[in-house]
Amino acid sequence: MSRKENALDLAKFIDKGVRVKLSGGREVEGILKGYDQLLNLVLDETVEYLRDKEDMLRITNETRPLGLVVCRGTAVMMVSPTAGTEELAQNPFMQTDGA
Amino acid sequence: MLPLLLLKTAQKHPVLVELKNGETYNGHMVQCDSWMNVHLREVICTSKDGDRFWRIPETYIRGNTIKYLRVPDEVIDKVKEENYKRDEKRPAMARGRGRGRGPAGRGDGPSGGGRGGAPGRGGRGRGRE
Repeated sequence: MSRKENALDLAKFIDKGVRVKLSGGREVEGILKGYDQLLNLVLDETVEYLRDKEDMLRITNETRPLGLVVCRGTAVMMVSPTAGTEELAQNPFMQTDGA
Repeated sequence: MLPLLLLKTAQKHPVLVELKNGETYNGHMVQCDSWMNVHLREVICTSKDGDRFWRIPETYIRGNTIKYLRVPDEVIDKVKEENYKRDEKRPAMARGRGRGRGPAGRGDGPSGGGRGGAPGRGGRGRGRE
């Protein structure tokens, strides 16, 4: 079965913007400068997306600059490219229902 | 049926992944590995409350944050099929691979005791390292 093969292929994201969700709920976006097999990441020009004071699970569009950071792999939940990511105005699953 | 085997069979199929934090990701599974890390494409992410949605071209999700995955029903037929095929091929090559637990190994003989499990199992367990 799948052995040491990582599903991970971050090479193509190098020097590109990536969005990273961290365990505990923080979300950051930055330019991927490096990574290792433990999923530790080096991000440059990083910004953190702040969360709603009342609802800490809710991400707002407010940001705070962090600069150059190392994200510890064990805390990384999700990595995706910034390019092509968009928030949808309406429920995409409803559309298929309604059609 | 092993959970990870089912997951591996689900590659290229649409799946739903719910994370421990309640977010769900719907997308096509590109790849998964033995840690349950998954790589999805054409993803729709739904917030915990189900009121916000994002379209993401691809995403990499760490296995240990996953609560559960939903896979299409047809995958289960496929995994049975593949299991069957593999079992047919198996005896010749797969047994030799498990270090020292091949045909002559413990529990594989006719009077083998309770340990050792099914004959085919030793080989695969070892193969992962």
